[in-house]
Amino acid sequence: MRKFLINVNGNSYEVEVEEIRDGATVAMPAAPKAAPVAAPKAAAPAPKASAAPATPAAVPAGAATVVAPMPGTILTVNVKVGESVKKGQVLCILEAMKMENEIMAAGDGKVSSIAVNSGDAVNTGQVLIVLE
Amino acid sequence: MAVDKMNELHKLRDKISQGGGEKRIAKQHESGKLTARERINLLLDESSFNEIDAFVKHRCTEFGMETTDAPGEGVVTGFGTVEGRLVYVYAQDFTVVGGSLGEMHAQKICKVLDLAMKMGAPVVGMNDSGGARIQEGVDALSGYGKIFYRNTIASGVIPQISVIMGPCAGGAVYSPALTDFIFMVDKTSQMFITGPQVIKTVTGEEVSAEELGGAMTHNSISGVAHFMSNNEKECIEEIRRLLSFLPSNNMENAPIVSTNDDLNRVEDVLNTIIPDSPNKPYDMYEIIKTIVDDGDFMDVQPYYARNIITGFARLNGSSIGIIANQPKVLAGCLDINASDKAGRFIRTCDAFNIPILNLVDVPGFLPGTNQEFGGIIRHGAKMLYAYSESTVPKVTLVVRKAYGGAYLAMCSKDLGADMVFAWPQAEIAVMGPEGAANIIFKKEIENADNPAQARNEKIQEYKDKFATPYIAASRGFVDDVIEPSATRPILINAFEMLSSKRETRPSKKHGNLPV
Repeated sequence: MRKFLINVNGNSYEVEVEEIRDGATVAMPAAPKAAPVAAPKAAAPAPKASAAPATPAAVPAGAATVVAPMPGTILTVNVKVGESVKKGQVLCILEAMKMENEIMAAGDGKVSSIAVNSGDAVNTGQVLIVLE
Repeated sequence: MAVDKMNELHKLRDKISQGGGEKRIAKQHESGKLTARERINLLLDESSFNEIDAFVKHRCTEFGMETTDAPGEGVVTGFGTVEGRLVYVYAQDFTVVGGSLGEMHAQKICKVLDLAMKMGAPVVGMNDSGGARIQEGVDALSGYGKIFYRNTIASGVIPQISVIMGPCAGGAVYSPALTDFIFMVDKTSQMFITGPQVIKTVTGEEVSAEELGGAMTHNSISGVAHFMSNNEKECIEEIRRLLSFLPSNNMENAPIVSTNDDLNRVEDVLNTIIPDSPNKPYDMYEIIKTIVDDGDFMDVQPYYARNIITGFARLNGSSIGIIANQPKVLAGCLDINASDKAGRFIRTCDAFNIPILNLVDVPGFLPGTNQEFGGIIRHGAKMLYAYSESTVPKVTLVVRKAYGGAYLAMCSKDLGADMVFAWPQAEIAVMGPEGAANIIFKKEIENADNPAQARNEKIQEYKDKFATPYIAASRGFVDDVIEPSATRPILINAFEMLSSKRETRPSKKHGNLPV
């Protein structure tokens, strides 16, 4: 069981994801080789697996994650844990596509954790900073 | 006798203009919504509304409908003027059987669409309907089909504007989707194919109607809608504003709006607006607002794919469409959503004879597996296609970066730009200096005593030599390198010179736009 914090349109959802290691997922890679009859059977449990994480757990009150909008490198982190920030304040600089992209706070808040250091390479959607 | 007849007419008309009656009207007002007639009166010039088909009645006799009276059939239709120009209008009346669409309701809308097409005037359709009138069955479905067909045939002939001012669900959403622009009102309008109830039953997802299909959702996430307003009054003002940028039909030009803004206005601020470091972002809106008449820019889809800006403005009183990269968002890269947004906007401008200005500062296409898997190839192709296909005057101004395929996709000379200008800071090249130096000087860098130093030297060498506008200008890909402060007069001159542009294409049924 792994926990993810997913940010959708400004709302954070704490989501628990479990990888199912029964016949469904294990059988999948073998499916193309198996007889055609096996394929539909293997496919059937898949929706169940994906349906499981669809019910989001309770949102941590007021928390908002700031994620990387595109892959790049963190150039500087401009805030410290515990610091209060205003909407539109630059939290960190993400260098990507030869541009020093200013990553800004979507709303007022307080920095509760910082997940990256300057020099870190980040991917699209990766959590950079959590505000509360 | 004659008096009796007059009284009968007045009585009937009064009843119809009351729609669903006082109670339902009060309920409509309570939920922050206006009635169909109030909306129409706000949109059109004072007392210019002429109603059509007020006496139309439904023909359904099933499921108790034979005793159901639906004044006006749940939709108010007619014509009037906006700033003195003819506009056709229909507004669904939620107070009458929930604004549900039946055979005759659809027929009223179709009549207005047919008239608009014959006369060459815009149509504004205001949607506030519970959906198909189930009692009428396939007749209601047929009604939708007839509207979709007319929306499509009228596409590119007359501007069609859809306004969502209440629920718009199921098949009903496709009429707005087929039109040129969709306006939505925050908190009181929703669009979706399948509503929250159905989604919950089928996939188990729980989502509110507002989250699923509200104004912000369609303005920022799905890109279905083009404009969002806080309330209906604001929304209707914005519709009037949009109409001022558009011609009445594809054979006319947009109205010229006189301005006191000096057409020779020189703006020194533009000389310093681009940061010294090519890696620093700035706000493209500032450039746009400095150049255009009175700083008046109507942003189309301002919340969607913000890495590209699309919208209408005027230069010396004439409408132009602007497509501009926004370095502040995603470094100004082109991606799937930006390509869709721009491709659509270019075709809207071309269909309605609105010249296009491109402001270019683009580092390239956004890299990533989600972009490639999402089909950035076919989406990006829409921009190339739309620019190449368009025959309106096109002027491109490269303000900073213009690299690789994205340089072409932002309407280079070869894609049909009639005039291409560049500011002195422009960097027009096949790729960025770092990447290019690594490839061209690969061996020299590897064999150097100090590869890192050699690399930096080669990058600088490439920068000095190629990351300028002058190589492109030496080939004629750039018509002139201009001083930024003089941008406004130069662009006005260019568009004036191009105003008589005639360009024909080989006759064909239609091209095959990548979708």
